[in-house]
Formats: sequence, structure tokens, C-alpha cells
Amino acid sequence: MKFIDNLKNGLLKENPTFVQLLGMCPTLAVTTTASDAMAMGLATTTVLISSNFVISLLRKFIPSKIRIPSYIVIVAGFVTLIDIFMHAYAIDLYRSLGLFIPLIVVNCLILGRAESFASKNNPIDSIVDGIGMGLGFTWALTLLGIVRELLGAGSIFGVQIFGEAFKPAIIMILPPGAFLALGILIGLFNWIKSRKTTRV
Amino acid sequence: MGDILKLGLILLLITSITALVLGYANDMTKDVIVNVENQASEVARKEVLPLAESFKSLDKEILNKIINENPNIKEIYSGYSENGDLVGYTIKTATPGYGGDVEVITGISLENKITGIKVVSHKETPGLGANATQPKFQNQFKDKSVSKELEVVKGSPSSENEIQALTGATITSKAVTKGVNLAREIFINNLAK
Repeated sequence: MKFIDNLKNGLLKENPTFVQLLGMCPTLAVTTTASDAMAMGLATTTVLISSNFVISLLRKFIPSKIRIPSYIVIVAGFVTLIDIFMHAYAIDLYRSLGLFIPLIVVNCLILGRAESFASKNNPIDSIVDGIGMGLGFTWALTLLGIVRELLGAGSIFGVQIFGEAFKPAIIMILPPGAFLALGILIGLFNWIKSRKTTRV
Repeated sequence: MGDILKLGLILLLITSITALVLGYANDMTKDVIVNVENQASEVARKEVLPLAESFKSLDKEILNKIINENPNIKEIYSGYSENGDLVGYTIKTATPGYGGDVEVITGISLENKITGIKVVSHKETPGLGANATQPKFQNQFKDKSVSKELEVVKGSPSSENEIQALTGATITSKAVTKGVNLAREIFINNLAK
């Protein structure tokens, strides 16, 4: 049961974006289109799973005094690996995300999970936590991307939904639109959650 | 003292292992990346100048002279048809956009027509300026004559030398058009016979 609990924790209960409000920089910056948002989420998930695993393996070896620099080095190592492999084998994806990949290093979600979960739990649980948190981050980003792309460009995943008559609200793909959409979504998320708890 | 030394050594160990892994990965992918980039450039050149079958960089001396006078020019390639006749040029320019330099390859045929353009590298806002890479925007430049300077307009273009700006990204549209105009001038002044 612990396995499912760990997974659900990241997906819903402790959702990194809607509940913990971690990793706001990529959340606000790359959610202009659904596909960019999803790719960013998945790239972050990959880094998170790998770093959680390695940090959990080394949790008894790394002294607590130097844990932060050690974690950063490990996370940065994985991000750089993804960066070069993407450049070599997925050039189109690299071109559209290139600028944001190095930013994964400073995504506080990754350091946050290393500090609060991976450094205290065994490698298997840490991987599960990485999957849950990563996918929780991914679906939140994708949802935000869908809302912003639909309102701001009239399409979802690049497919036009509305006809020519629809005048997109450009503000939604500009930075202010990120804050508006995120605020409303967090509100909705909390409203649904509070209704659920009161009923129980 | 001993404690500091121990911590330092552990950190050194972690960073060394990371560096080793990264160095190895870099070594593995170095050639692949160079190949992929070259291939992408070759494909881009062919896309903007479809008449040509093969490309050769312009003579170094002439190229350096042009770049000295116009630092925004990055590369110039001559395009040759199957039987070795010169059919046109592809000119790569870098002009400042909203988030950094926007690199554009412009293809110009010897018939004084722009055969195509392609934005090959940029740091523009995703969803706005980044739309400059979409065919809908780039195709506007196709078949324009090189004799007239191209201008960016908001809304639908009314004359032959006008380009419709991307919604919410006028600066990017202007940067791309500036690059194309630069390529056009270089062609007229230095390359056309």
C-alpha cells in the first residue's frame, strides 16, 4: 500500500505545482503551449527519478554538512547528460526546449524532493516518489499549457480547435496569462479538494 | 581541521565522478552532435534554395571581406545544380531579436528571387516569437523580388514587399525581415553579376 500512497502523494495530495507551489519558474515560463509544457514535465521527471535514485543510494555516504552542494552536483550532472543526449538524438525537441533544459538544475522541486524524501528513504521508494512527483508536475504543467494555448492561440497541442472567427486572447500566452491561469487553476484545485474533505 | 579535509575530499570524489561520467558522455556524443548540426544546416540550405543539389562555402577571401563590412553575416554558400551550374546563394544572418540573435538562412536565386527563408536558431518567447519558425510565417518571403526592401506590417499585407508581422511578436518579425533584407543587399551589392 505504501507504494500506491507514495505515488498518489505526488500526483494529487502533495502535487508539486498546485499544492506545494514548487518549481514555479518552468511552470510559468514554458507553459505557453501544451506540447512544450509536457516535454518540460517529462524531462524534469527523468531528472527527478534519476537524482532521487542516486541521492538515496548515497544517503549514508554524503555528510549532512555538504549535502546541498553534493545534491546540486548530482542534479546538474543528470541535467547536462539529458542536455547532450537530447542535442545528439532529438534535435527538434532540443531546439524548442533548449533554453529551459539547463534551468531544470535550479528547479526547487528536484532539490526539495532530494532533501525531504530521497535522503531519508530507500532507493525503491525514492524512485516511486520521483515518478509520482514528476508525473504530478507533468500533468499540472500540461493542464496549464492546454488552458493557455487554447485561450491564447485557439489550439491544443498545435491543432486548431476554434475556427478563424476566434480572436485569441494573446495575454494568455504572455507572462501575465501564466499567473492568471495558474491562480485560477490552484483555486479550482483547492475548491475541489475542500469539497471532498467536507463531504467525508 | 580533519573534518574539513574529510568533507572536502568527499565533495571532490562526488564532483570527480560526475565530471568523469559527463566527460565520457560528451566524448560519446561529440561527433554525433557535429554530424546532426551539419546535416541540419545542409537540409536547411536545401530547403531555402531547392534548385541547388550541392553547396560550397564562398571563397574565404571574399567571404571575410563581406563579413568584415557586415558583421551580421555568418555564412554564405553557393548552390550548384546537378550539372554544376551556379543557381543561387544561401546567406546566413544573425540579427538581434527580442531574446537574443535570430539566425536566418535566406536563399536567393540568380533570377533575383528569394527562394525561401528559414529561422535556424533563436531565443525568442515560446508561443509568440518562436512562431517565426512556422512555415506560415516563413512562406511569406518566398518568391519575393530582391529589388525592393521588405517591410513588416501589422494586419494583412497590401503590397508586394510587405510581410505580415506575427501576432504579439513584432520585434521578432522585424529581426527576421532585417536579416532577409541584409541578405538581399549583400546579394545585390556583392554577389549578383
